[in-house]
Amino acid sequence: MTSNPTLSRAASHAADSATAPASDGAASDGAPRTGGAPRTGGLDIKGLTKVLGGRTIIDSLDMAVRPGELVSLLGPSGCGKTTTLRMIAGFLTPDSGSIMVGGREVVHLGPEQRPSAMVFQNYALWPHMTVAKNVAFPLRLRNRPRLSKAVIAERVDAALALVNLLHHKDSRPARISGGEQQRTALARALVQEPQLLLLDEPLSNLDAKLRVKVREDIREIQQRLGITTLIVTHDQEEAMSMSDRIAVMNQGRIEQFSTPAELYSAPATEFVATFVGSLNRVEGRIEEGRIVAGGGVLGIRPEDVAFVEDGDSGSSADAGLPATVERVVPRGHFAELTVRREDAVLRSFATGAPPAVGARGRAHIAKWLEFEDGKLVRKGSA
Amino acid sequence: MTTGLHTGSGAPARPAPAASGPVQPDAPGRRRPAGGSARAGQARGFVMALPPILIIALFIGVPIVLAFGFSLGFTGGLNHTIALIGQNVHEAQGLPTFGAYGDMFADRRFLGDLIVTVVVTLVSTAVVVLLAVAIGLYLKFADGVIAKALSALAVVPLFIPVVIASWAILGFYSADGFLRSVAAQFGVDFPVWSFTMVTVIIGSVWTSLPFATLLVTSGLQAVPRAMIDAARDAGASFARVVASVVIPMAGVPIVIATTFTAIGILGSFTVPYFTGPNSPNMLGVDMSNYFSAFNQPQQAVVMAFVVFAIASGIAAVYVWANFRSAKENAGKQAVR
Repeated sequence: MTSNPTLSRAASHAADSATAPASDGAASDGAPRTGGAPRTGGLDIKGLTKVLGGRTIIDSLDMAVRPGELVSLLGPSGCGKTTTLRMIAGFLTPDSGSIMVGGREVVHLGPEQRPSAMVFQNYALWPHMTVAKNVAFPLRLRNRPRLSKAVIAERVDAALALVNLLHHKDSRPARISGGEQQRTALARALVQEPQLLLLDEPLSNLDAKLRVKVREDIREIQQRLGITTLIVTHDQEEAMSMSDRIAVMNQGRIEQFSTPAELYSAPATEFVATFVGSLNRVEGRIEEGRIVAGGGVLGIRPEDVAFVEDGDSGSSADAGLPATVERVVPRGHFAELTVRREDAVLRSFATGAPPAVGARGRAHIAKWLEFEDGKLVRKGSA
Repeated sequence: MTTGLHTGSGAPARPAPAASGPVQPDAPGRRRPAGGSARAGQARGFVMALPPILIIALFIGVPIVLAFGFSLGFTGGLNHTIALIGQNVHEAQGLPTFGAYGDMFADRRFLGDLIVTVVVTLVSTAVVVLLAVAIGLYLKFADGVIAKALSALAVVPLFIPVVIASWAILGFYSADGFLRSVAAQFGVDFPVWSFTMVTVIIGSVWTSLPFATLLVTSGLQAVPRAMIDAARDAGASFARVVASVVIPMAGVPIVIATTFTAIGILGSFTVPYFTGPNSPNMLGVDMSNYFSAFNQPQQAVVMAFVVFAIASGIAAVYVWANFRSAKENAGKQAVR
């Protein structure tokens, strides 16, 4: 067989997995969790800089993505994550710096010559072509070697089977749903067998339920193919649930590049702590369980603030300071409380039946982060 | 309850919002059965649209029907006067006659003019569309002073009356015109293009290019940048991006620009009248000659219907393009 063995193998796996759930779940703790042996090269960026309109958008950015790893570029709007992705794809030329894909310098190459493939935010499917023709387009452009129609058809079918879209191969993009368009765009990228897969806000146009489904699909396919993948997103939940590692960007620089678990438990900067997850930010320091003036800034995760209502028993019933519940926001399987202590107003998460507004009790801070000049200096616990 | 705070002074409590807000004094009138209201709306819309419909029917529809009848030999009624004045008029004896059509299609002059009209229309339209697409593509992909200057220059002919442009073109290519004078300085005997179909084509391109450029450029500009980026990312060269993505995606506006241009050139008068030869020339000029100079109104009307038949073919392409565009939009709506 002359077609892409990886895609074909993955496609047959896709058919199998329609009846049996995938065995490799999404852990969030560490090294790449690729299902098979990584078949693609890594990404190595050094000193990448871009100035637009006199403003430094990307400031000497360094990043190394290991082969087969899925990395998210996470940050607020305007932080430079999409600019970085477009430079890696070749749509923007950096002012300085180096971009190596699979050990090969690509910074001087146009997007059509780079060993990467991109899934665009709005999918960018060509409306005048069917789903199959959209996916076949990159293959029809290949000259060395030129692919026969039969080989192209075989590879297109394999790519569409991989994303479960064979039944829509003759449909126009306008006739399929947003999620299916997303998967078509993914198939079009994967059929190119890129060394590096780039996804620009791939889920931002999908509704909340579909977003969860598609992100699981993307993760599963990425793991199955072992393809090095870089995703740009501003959605921390998306980044946390999909990524092997996350690079949090702010003002053209990477603030922290680590695993989701590390990012959450040991944020390197106050910005990362605030951007990833919820945080009580209080100026001061903690002495004997009490927040006092002076020092730097405290970061306290709401789940590290325990509120025990008067009369309730528990391990921390006598710990902490007297507090009153000021606000209760139900969040489904938990509730977000706003509790007032004599030293600060803190948010806390409560599972089970939440207390009523005005309830009195004690609020105890179990763990906290101490920042000075925006940087983490200490992790404290009671 | 917060309302207790407001009513604490003994003032009467406000009525519940459901009973107050949206209900207005005239609300019952608006709550008529939907069918009656829809019929009233339709009638109002029809009355509002009636004046232009009547004007079109009266001043365009009726003359067309009369002219068609006249071309088939019906010389009574409102055609009576023109039939009396005109020469060489064929009259129907109960059944319609195709005598006037037979006259024209047996006339080598008419056939020559017909061929010239079709050729000038085809060549000029092709040149206009090619130039418009080239300018549109340049404006789409280039950025800077030249692109801005070009986009401004491309519409200049819109603001120059055709008659002025025709005279300028005639003078530029005439035997003692600018082009031949400059060429003569270098010992080159440049051909005389005035009063040939070359100047007719140049003039037709000049007058049609701005509007076609506006239409095509807006169509090309509407192709999203991401579609082009996606093609480049897939490995397409610039030529392939243009051929496979940009032009097909701007297909409908390009077809519409082509049909507008072709119909405009097909029925043109000023440019061929001023810059073209006596014979063969385009049918617009010929029609005028037959109607006024030769006093053969029935033959002029026959020519008009031949041009109309060709224009209808072009219009069918325009309708198809609009239908396709509407279908594509409906598809997008359906998915949303």
